[in-house]
Amino acid sequence: MDQQHLQGYFDYNATTPISKGVALSMQPIINLFANPSSPNRYSVNNRAVISQARENLAGLLGASSENIFFTSGGSEANNWAIKGVLFKHLSHPGHIITTSMEHASVLDTVKYCVERLGFSVTYLQPNIDGHISVADFESAIQANTQLATIMFANNETGAIQPIEQICKVAAEKAIPVHVDAVQFVGKRLVDVQQLGVDYLSLSAHKFYGPKGVGSLYIKDRDSIEPLIHGGGQEFSMRSGTENLVAMTGISIAADEAKKDLVFWDRHCFKLKQQMMTLLENSPIALTFNGATNYASALSNTLNISINGIRGEALALRMEMLHGFIISVGSACSNNKTKQLSHVLTAMGLTEEQVLGAIRVSFGCFTDEQQISRFVDALVTEVQQLLRISGSEPS
Amino acid sequence: MYNDIIIDNFSHPEFVGDLESADHQFEIGNPVCGDRIQMQVSLDGDSILDSRFRAWGCATSVAAANVFCRSIIGKSFAEVSARQTAEISAMLGELEPSQQHCVNILNELHRELSLAVSLEEG
Ligand SMILES: Cc1ncc(COP(=O)(O)O)c(C=O)c1O
Repeated sequence: MDQQHLQGYFDYNATTPISKGVALSMQPIINLFANPSSPNRYSVNNRAVISQARENLAGLLGASSENIFFTSGGSEANNWAIKGVLFKHLSHPGHIITTSMEHASVLDTVKYCVERLGFSVTYLQPNIDGHISVADFESAIQANTQLATIMFANNETGAIQPIEQICKVAAEKAIPVHVDAVQFVGKRLVDVQQLGVDYLSLSAHKFYGPKGVGSLYIKDRDSIEPLIHGGGQEFSMRSGTENLVAMTGISIAADEAKKDLVFWDRHCFKLKQQMMTLLENSPIALTFNGATNYASALSNTLNISINGIRGEALALRMEMLHGFIISVGSACSNNKTKQLSHVLTAMGLTEEQVLGAIRVSFGCFTDEQQISRFVDALVTEVQQLLRISGSEPS
Repeated sequence: MYNDIIIDNFSHPEFVGDLESADHQFEIGNPVCGDRIQMQVSLDGDSILDSRFRAWGCATSVAAANVFCRSIIGKSFAEVSARQTAEISAMLGELEPSQQHCVNILNELHRELSLAVSLEEG
């Protein structure tokens, strides 16, 4: 992403720009072609690259490196955790607990296990703040609950779920917990031991690393089926000759995140407060969707419903007329219906609020000037859309 | 993605507003998709003198309303009514499947205009 694009980029939850350090680190690795599994001396060096990457990721999560397994990203890690655990129970499929606001890679995997493999599921509903409650979790537990899969931070609202408390309750009933931490890792500190999670998914491209590489933390290797059978790579859990370039990318991204994430987080929270203040003092009528305080939501995410406009239309004006990239809570779909955000809908927002929703997410490359330019543009374009609809204040 | 016709007409919709004296007004809406368009038209004999719209909806539907206004101003009513579906759908350029409903919007705008004018004439 060039500098000019970076200036207008407010969609970090979709993917982050790659850090310079990460990009530079990956370039020489492309020439290290020796197969890491071969016995020659070049392979030894390449195996060391993999070990280092595993250690860096373990360091970011407070884990041991033997519990870190590389994947092609968050979607694969989520699929693996869910199917890998449930495949142990194929002869007596039981019950799954998840939430109705998960990423599609969790929701669709759970749906597959229910529809095709005979499992049953309870979907926990978020409240208007975007949080599920530990009490709801506790009452959803059944005698045959075999897995809980709950996201750490929501990609649309940034709402942070009470994972540590959920893990405590689950542990008492010996229910394994998988956490989709794709939006959380690299933004807040994670300590898998303290949390007590059994499986945790992450993805490099959400914290300044490359696309197409992620990881699944697995506490106990025997509790989950391998994902890919074959040549025995990844401790025989996910075979296939390793992608050293991608592993180096996630390795350096993890290392940078470990060093800098507290600073990034503080920086983002200041920007979020600045943006909220500017918006609250602006003439446009809006609501922030979900919790916004530090403890309950990510520092880099704001989900905003603006009265009287369509988020999709606003996003296009922001991009075409000002170069700002944001995401929206709804879109038209092929069959003439609208596709409303399942997250905002589950939180109980009205259709009008979902249609008027945008998601703004930023990161370490965003600065205060960009925030105020962004809010200026937003106010201008909301007023334009209100003028187009004839509902501008007279 | 949005094609250039949609982007131009949505970014700078020059026919937004109200006419001082409209001969015809009609409103169309897609209750499923939630798009709403109010259209005003003034006539000069058999020709369309001017047209303005207000729209609440997705970018493509706003663009469709603007394209419609530009396409009818200065045209004879007979010419506009004679437009066939293929001609109408070409007016918006190539659309993604999720934007196709705006061709229906444009068709409906044509239909409503014909209805409004012919009712008066009839
Ligand atoms: C919460 C969440 N989980 C999973 C994913 C999927 O990650 P990936 O793109 O690496 O497959 C995403 C990415 O959008 C996400 O936001």
